[in-house]
Amino acid sequence: MNANSSEILLPVTPEEAWEAVTDPDQLGEWLGDAAELDLRPGGDLAIEVAGEGERRGFIEEVEAPRRLVFWWSSEEAEASRVEIELDPEPGGTRVRVVESRPLAILDARGIEIGSWLAGPAGEPPAAAPELRSRVLALAG
Amino acid sequence: MAPPPVGVQPVFAALSDPTRRQVLSLIGERGEASASQLARSLPVSRQAVQKHLASLAAAGLVADRRDGREVLYRLTPAPMSDAMSWMASVGAQWDERLAALNRHLSR
Repeated sequence: MNANSSEILLPVTPEEAWEAVTDPDQLGEWLGDAAELDLRPGGDLAIEVAGEGERRGFIEEVEAPRRLVFWWSSEEAEASRVEIELDPEPGGTRVRVVESRPLAILDARGIEIGSWLAGPAGEPPAAAPELRSRVLALAG
Repeated sequence: MAPPPVGVQPVFAALSDPTRRQVLSLIGERGEASASQLARSLPVSRQAVQKHLASLAAAGLVADRRDGREVLYRLTPAPMSDAMSWMASVGAQWDERLAALNRHLSR
């Protein structure tokens, strides 16, 4: 078992697994009681987590049917970043999830989050300019 | 000495790799450790650990010092070890969520 990451082999195709992790109705079946999301970089998301209340956030990266990265936070908590990766395997699709709180680390290192993840060929990603303020706003 | 400027990406890349997270957790538990000491607790070679330590150092997440013939590594920013233990606790939540996802898809 790897430290601090979670994974499972699902008996479905990557496309079916992708649906299950991005379709609001399906998210409402396993991740929370209800979910809303606008599936594009910079799109908003809101998930009602059972027994905990609402988490709000936004999407950083969407690469169907392989990779989804989003940020979320419940009230008063520091925003965290969730990376979900799907890989086809014999017998199904491997799902790996890592949730981290990079902001404190970036701050401690004096790294400006505005210098956000240049995409392929150095293209700035869609969410770049307002990313830091959005991450900070998540914590209310 | 001020840490060298690094980008966001090396930090995320370091945190996204399971072996590098294990290396960080182990260093956090021990305070300081050499590549050979870390390799004894990991299913990878000392050379592989050395490579991971080099990318962690490039991301500014670990610093080293020489102690006799050994090089010892430690976590740099104070929030780093908090962040690692927090990641372990949310990992347990994701194990449960993924089990629920599996049940949902197996219905």
